[in-house]
Amino acid sequence: MLALLKLIQSIIKTLHSDGTPGQVAAGIAIGSVLGLTPLLNLHNLIVFSLVVLLNVSFGGAMLGWALFVPVGFLLDPLSHALGLQLLQAPSLRPLWTTLTNTPLVPYTNFNNTVVLGSFVGWLVLAVPIFFAARYGVARYRATIGERVRRSRFYKALTASQAYNLYRMFRPS
Amino acid sequence: MGIKIFRWKAIGPLLLFLAILVLLVVIFAEPIAHDTTEEASTELLGTQVDVGKLDLYPRQSAVDLRALQIANPFSLAQNLLEADEIRLKLNPAALAEKKLVIERLTLHGMRFGTTRKTPARAVKGGGFAPQILQTVQQWTKQFNVPLLSLTPLDTIRQLALDPTQLTTIREAQALVGRADSTRKALDQGFQQLNIRQTVDSARALSQRLSATDPKKLGLDGTRQAIESVREALREIDAAKKRVEQLERSTREGVLLLSQGTRVLDQARQKDFAFAKSLLKLPTFAAPDIGSAFFGQVSIERFKQALYWAELAQEYMPPGLAPRPTSGPQRLRASGHTIEFPRAQDFPRFLLEQGTLDFIIGGSGAAQGAYAATVRGLTSTPSLYGRPTIVSASRRAAGSTLGSIDVNAVINHVTSRTVDSGSARLRGVKLPSFQIPGVPFRVDAGTGMSNLDFTMKGGGTQLFGRWVIASKQVRWTADTARRSLNDIERLVWRVVAGLSNLNVVAELSGSVGSPKLAVRSNLDQAIADRLQAVMGEELAKAERLVRAKLDSLVADKVEPVKRQIAAVQTEANQRVQAERQRLDQVEEQLQAELRRLTGGLVPGIELPKIKL
Repeated sequence: MLALLKLIQSIIKTLHSDGTPGQVAAGIAIGSVLGLTPLLNLHNLIVFSLVVLLNVSFGGAMLGWALFVPVGFLLDPLSHALGLQLLQAPSLRPLWTTLTNTPLVPYTNFNNTVVLGSFVGWLVLAVPIFFAARYGVARYRATIGERVRRSRFYKALTASQAYNLYRMFRPS
Repeated sequence: MGIKIFRWKAIGPLLLFLAILVLLVVIFAEPIAHDTTEEASTELLGTQVDVGKLDLYPRQSAVDLRALQIANPFSLAQNLLEADEIRLKLNPAALAEKKLVIERLTLHGMRFGTTRKTPARAVKGGGFAPQILQTVQQWTKQFNVPLLSLTPLDTIRQLALDPTQLTTIREAQALVGRADSTRKALDQGFQQLNIRQTVDSARALSQRLSATDPKKLGLDGTRQAIESVREALREIDAAKKRVEQLERSTREGVLLLSQGTRVLDQARQKDFAFAKSLLKLPTFAAPDIGSAFFGQVSIERFKQALYWAELAQEYMPPGLAPRPTSGPQRLRASGHTIEFPRAQDFPRFLLEQGTLDFIIGGSGAAQGAYAATVRGLTSTPSLYGRPTIVSASRRAAGSTLGSIDVNAVINHVTSRTVDSGSARLRGVKLPSFQIPGVPFRVDAGTGMSNLDFTMKGGGTQLFGRWVIASKQVRWTADTARRSLNDIERLVWRVVAGLSNLNVVAELSGSVGSPKLAVRSNLDQAIADRLQAVMGEELAKAERLVRAKLDSLVADKVEPVKRQIAAVQTEANQRVQAERQRLDQVEEQLQAELRRLTGGLVPGIELPKIKL
């Protein structure tokens, strides 16, 4: 229940952040890789650094992460099949051989079927996620966004300490 | 003003985050490495591995392991190996590629076969090593080691044989069914031949032509008559081919039935052995005695060698082909992790040089100086390009203790793999063991033992030889539970007087079909003694078994054999009869053809009929 509340809190905060719908959507699209691929791999550290450094919505990225974790679990069998196809493709074998023997790259675990399959899946889904999220945020703000902003629930939410910390990373 | 791409003010917090991350790694790296090492090596070796302490030395690219215990997978209350300290010097360039290349390994305070404080847990799960362990356990069951039976003949009252347990009866019943279906198939085949119609129409034609005068037929009439004869001869030819075809299939069917009768004879021999085993007749043959006395203990030695050879086959595959292994354990699906080795590069795992020197002092039995080396132990032998060599030896110069030399060569550089190992023990205390099936125990005392084991082509060829020799053998009979019977006392008198023991066990064949031959200096002595005392009684008992078996199976087997012979005879007779009918009518037609042509109609080509 607490996790669900946190998720709702995150969604509300993100939707009402100062970022443009494009920044929020970019954050969601980039953050979704954290949820779609197994977390403890080197590439996710790079993704996290990008979320922090790029002028995208940090909240959007965290929201994307949270939303796509269950999707990642559900897609694991598909990711495995896709990764296996790619890793066993004879034409790609020289690429994988080079990457395996390149310093630090093996720590991304790209040669694991689930990691590679889910990462490639994210590459394919990133653009649709971006456009869908941008449309959704814009529609929300144009329709019920203002009413929510005036509600007591929203005011209680933004009064919390966590929100102050969040503001550090809001898009400029 | 456009939107900025970078959020420069976030660099500070990001660096702080990374610093915290590094700090966490520094704090938790050793516990994580400790747990990972225990977990990974347990899975790898298929037996519990405990590491007391693990220290990382990043500046020297070194790792120290202390209080290492590797449980014996064959005896969980014991450690296969226990070591006080192991220092690993790693190659940092290989670490950057997530590869473990140990440049140097030094080990101190190693002990073998120590007793564990708490028994190790049996390794379960789908790892390869536990599977190998199970496979090897199963492998030992392939050997048909006779159990020594020293039951006195006077205890044999009667033989109760259950006919349903006899293979001969089951085979005979199956053969009856096959004989019936062969006969039905033959009947069907003869019906489908349709010879009668061909013969009748040919005969009718022959009779009609014989009543005509070729001179009165005229040119057209003669031509038509000749054409009719040729047509009839073609039909006879086709019918003959059908008969030949039927004869071939008949021969095949009968051959299968004849093979069935041979299977019956073999089943009868097997049933005889089974019936004999119910009587538990004493084992008299010298080879059986050798196998019964020392078969199990020999298999145990070879089993351990095979376990390590199979592990080497799995973890040290030849070639550079990408190889999938199970991915890491995590909440998400593990998937498969595929390695892509590249020539001239580091293998995923390599122990370049390992040296193990240690001394066990005092006056105990294990006193002595030990030295061991391991070279080129790798996960990708084709990259390393040389075989893995392991050697270990114990020397105890100036003491009464003997020597131990162990050598192993694992050559997986090419697909023609060879795993070989040898152990030479001289002047060492040999193990004592129970003789299966009888209450005798042999303590081999101090002596020599050699074990040679070679596995080629991944198990297609096995060679093994285990030899023990001692001049200080002591035999003990466990009479606390029950007293020895007459035959056991007889055997006991033979073995108790022997202080010399020479056993040679030889393994051959393949992993899928191994063969074991065991001989010892006891075999002939025991066999001769038993034969002299009980040979006649035993022959009588065997005759009893054969008569009992014959009485049960004869009425099932003989009718089947007669039925098969009848099918064979009938099939031959019917084929011959059909052939004769066709030959006769063909002869008549040929005569008519000769009469019709008679030199009057030149240019008419006679049909070429195979006779």
